[in-house]
Amino acid sequence: MLIRGPVETRIKAVTMMKEIILLFLLFYMACGNTSFGPPGKPTLTNCRSPEKETFTCWWKPGSDGGLPTIYALFYLKDNSDTLYECPDYHTAGKNSCFFNKNETSVWVNYNITVVATNQIGRTFSDPVDVDVAYIVQPHTPENVTVNVMENKGWPFLRVSWESPHKADIRSGWITLVYELRSRMEGEVEWEEHFPGQQKTFNIFSIRSGSSYLLQVRCKPDHGFWSEWSSTTKIKVPEYFFGERYLWILIAVFSSLVFLILAWILYMNSRSLKNCILPPVPGPKIKGFDHQSLKNGSHKDSFNSLMIPEIPPNSSSNYEDLLVEYLEVFISGDQELSMEEGKDMQDFKSESSTCDSDSGRGSCDSQTLLTDKCKEVNKDELNKNCKETLEISHRGGLIYEDSTDTCNERVKTWPCLPQYASSHVPQMSSLKMVKQHCLSDTLLAHGSLSSNAHKHNESFTSTYWDFSLSNKQPSQIHPQTSKHLQAHSDINICKLTNEIHTTFKPIQYVEVQTVNEEGMVLLQPVESVQSQAEGCPHAHHREDYSKVKGVRNGNTLLLERGVTVTEGGMDWCVCDKMETSSNKERDYMSANTLKHQDASMKTFTMPFQEQKPPTANGYVDTAMMFSVSM
Amino acid sequence: IWVNTSVQAGVKSRTVGRWVVLLWPLLLIKCVPLDCQDEQSCPSISQEKLLDRVIQHAELIYRVSEDSCTLFEEMFVPFPLRLQSNQAGYACITKALPIPSSRSEIQQISDQYLLHSVLMLVRSWIEPLVYLQTTLERYDNAPDLLLNKTKWLSEKLLSLEQGVLVLITKMLNEGMVSTSYSDPSLVQYDMQLDMLESIMRDYTLFNCFKKDAHKMEAFLKLLKCRQTNNCA
Repeated sequence: MLIRGPVETRIKAVTMMKEIILLFLLFYMACGNTSFGPPGKPTLTNCRSPEKETFTCWWKPGSDGGLPTIYALFYLKDNSDTLYECPDYHTAGKNSCFFNKNETSVWVNYNITVVATNQIGRTFSDPVDVDVAYIVQPHTPENVTVNVMENKGWPFLRVSWESPHKADIRSGWITLVYELRSRMEGEVEWEEHFPGQQKTFNIFSIRSGSSYLLQVRCKPDHGFWSEWSSTTKIKVPEYFFGERYLWILIAVFSSLVFLILAWILYMNSRSLKNCILPPVPGPKIKGFDHQSLKNGSHKDSFNSLMIPEIPPNSSSNYEDLLVEYLEVFISGDQELSMEEGKDMQDFKSESSTCDSDSGRGSCDSQTLLTDKCKEVNKDELNKNCKETLEISHRGGLIYEDSTDTCNERVKTWPCLPQYASSHVPQMSSLKMVKQHCLSDTLLAHGSLSSNAHKHNESFTSTYWDFSLSNKQPSQIHPQTSKHLQAHSDINICKLTNEIHTTFKPIQYVEVQTVNEEGMVLLQPVESVQSQAEGCPHAHHREDYSKVKGVRNGNTLLLERGVTVTEGGMDWCVCDKMETSSNKERDYMSANTLKHQDASMKTFTMPFQEQKPPTANGYVDTAMMFSVSM
Repeated sequence: IWVNTSVQAGVKSRTVGRWVVLLWPLLLIKCVPLDCQDEQSCPSISQEKLLDRVIQHAELIYRVSEDSCTLFEEMFVPFPLRLQSNQAGYACITKALPIPSSRSEIQQISDQYLLHSVLMLVRSWIEPLVYLQTTLERYDNAPDLLLNKTKWLSEKLLSLEQGVLVLITKMLNEGMVSTSYSDPSLVQYDMQLDMLESIMRDYTLFNCFKKDAHKMEAFLKLLKCRQTNNCA
C-alpha cells in the first residue's frame, strides 16, 4: 500500500527480535526441509464491538510456509503515529485481538494491521480502518420467556426478554431494537415480528393445542444484528373455552334445523309420497265390477256394462222390457211413502246390479219396490231429484221431467203398487226409472178413498205430471218456488194396502185445488167433495182419459175431454182443471202455473172409468199404445 | 477482493436507494424556524417533545450523510483508497474541538457540556457543507441525488442548530447563545489541488461529517436518557 513508512520500520524492529529467537530454534531443528517459505498473508476478517465499549478483531492466517508462524496485530489510532500492539491476544480466542475498555475510543479511527512472521520472512496483512461506533454487534437477548395468556377466552403468547447484559441501555449509550420470530412446530417458515425497542411482545396468531418455537435478536440503531437467541419452546394447551360456546351454538342450531326439517317431512309425507311414488291409476270403468271379475264370473261383470238399450242376448224376455205399471211417487209423511232418495241410494248400494247409470231405479223392481213400499218412510222433503220414469217404447207412461235439475225436494221412490188384480202384468223390471221428486209436497188427494183424503194434508205422494207441450218451465208457485210436477201417480202406495183389501175402481181425479203449501188437492171427479177452499165452480167434469197421442216418443198426451159446464175463464182460487182447453194452466202449483200452449196437457191420468181398473192411477198401457201407435 | 467490495458497494447502494426512497418527502420539507421573541406569540412545545424531535433530526441527518458518503465513495473514490478514510493529511476538522470521545469521559461530563458539545459540532459543519455543495458541482458526473442530499443536509443542519439552541435555553435556562464556534481557520480549502486529492479531501469531509452526525445523535440520546432517568 502507499504509506507504510513508520509503521513498517517499527514492525520490522519488533520482528527482528523474534527472528533471532527463531533462528536459534532453527539450529536445533533438523535440516533438510526445502519447502520453507515466508508465511502467507493473513487477512483481518472482522472486528466487532458488543457494547460499543470494547471490541475484538479476528484474522485469518495464510499459509504458514511450513514453519511456525507468529502473528501480531498492530494498530494506529486516528492518524497519530503511535503504533500500538494488540494488548490481548487470548481473551477472544485464537487469532484474535481483544481491546478492552481503556483502549477503546469511540468515533476514533483504528488502522489495524496483522503481521505473520516465520523463520523465513514476514507478511503484512492489508490494513483495515475500524471505527468502533460502526461495528457494534450486540450479544443475543437474554432470558427469553414465553407465557400463554388468555384474552377473553382466546389464548395468546406473551414473550419477554432482556437485553444482553453487557449493553448499556440504561444510560442510553446504546439503543437497541429487537426482532422476534416464531413458528409452529413442524412448520418451516418463521413468522417475524418487530417489537421495536420494547422488551415484551404479544403474539395472537396462535392455534391452541400446538407448540411454538421462538427466537429473539437485537440490533443497535446503527450497527449489526445480533445472533438469534436460543430457541424457546412453548406448548399451547387445548383451549376450548373460547370455542365452547360456539360449538354449543352450532349444535343447538343444527338440531333445531333438523327438527324443523323432520317436522316438515312428516307433515308432507303423503304429498311427498305422491310426488315420489305417484299412485298408478287403475282402470275404472263405470259400472264395471272388479269383484265379479276377480271372482271369475266374467259374464256378470261385463253384463253390468251393457247398455240397457242393447237387448241382452240371453235370458231376458223381451216382455220384460215392458213396463206394465207405473211407479207411483209418494212424498210426505206417509206410511206408504215411497222410498226416499236416500233409500234409493241405499237400495242402490245394496244391490250390486243396480246403478243409477243404467237408469234402473229399481232392479228387480217389482219385488224390491214393494218391499220398500211397505216401509214407513218419513217424508224427506229435502231431496228432490227428479227422475223420469222412462218406460220403454213398448208401453208405459213416461214421466218426463221438464227440468232435470235436482230440486231439493222429496225424492221418492216409486212404489209399485201391489195389485191383486190379475190384470196386473208381471212387471219384471222397469228399465229406466227416474225418480221424480216433487218440488214440494203435493197432496195426494185421497181420491180413491176417503181415508186417503183424510191424509190429504200429509199426502205428498200424488204427483201430477204436467209436462208442458212446449216444455216451458212453468212458473212456480211462490211458495213452492219450484216447479211442481204433478204426477198423476195416484197415491197408489198409500192405497196399496187398501187396494189389497178393497179394490176400488179408480175415479177420475181432478186437481181441485192447490193449497198454500203447494199441495195439490185432488179429488175424484165423482165426488163432489170440496176442499176447504170450496169452489162453487168445481163441478166441472173433465175427462182426461183420452189419449191423444204420444209426444216425442215418450210422452203420452192425454186429451182432456172437456165437459165443461161452465165456460170461460173461471179461475178459481182452487185451481180447477175445468178450465177451457185454451187455458193453459199448470195446476201443479197452487195458482200460478200457467201453460202457454194449448190444451195439450199430458197427464198421467187416472184411469178411465171405462177402462178396466188395472191399478189405481195407472193407465192401461196396452190401450195407450194401441192408441198412439 | 475487488469483486467482493464491489458487491458490497452494490449492496450499500441498494440500501442507500432504499433510504432515499423512504426519506424523499423529507427532502421537500423546508423548515423555517420561528422567531420567538417572547413565549406568548410562539406556540410552545414541551421539553421532552422538543428533545425527541431534535433526536429525530439528528438521526435523519446521520442517515442521509451515510447515504451521501456511500454515494460519493462509489462514484469518485478509487477502490484501493476506499478503506482508508483518514489519511494523514486530512484529519477531521473537528478533531481540535474539545469533545470527549471515550465513553468514560462522556459519562462524566454534565448535561450542559453535552449540549454545548452538540452545538459546537453543528455549528462547525455548517460552512463545510456549503463548501461541499460547491465542490460537487465541479465534478463532471456528480449525480443529482448526491447534490440534493448534500443540499438537504446543509439545510437540516441549520434547523438542528435552532433546535439545540432552544433546548439550551429551555433545559439549561441560559440565554440565547449567539457566539459562533465556527473557526474560519478550520476550513482551509486549496482549490489548486488535483482531482484525486480533491476527491480524497471531499471523501474525508463526508466521512468526518458522517462521524460527527453519529456523535451528535449519540450525545442527544444520552441526554435524553439522563433527562428521563430510565432508558432501560
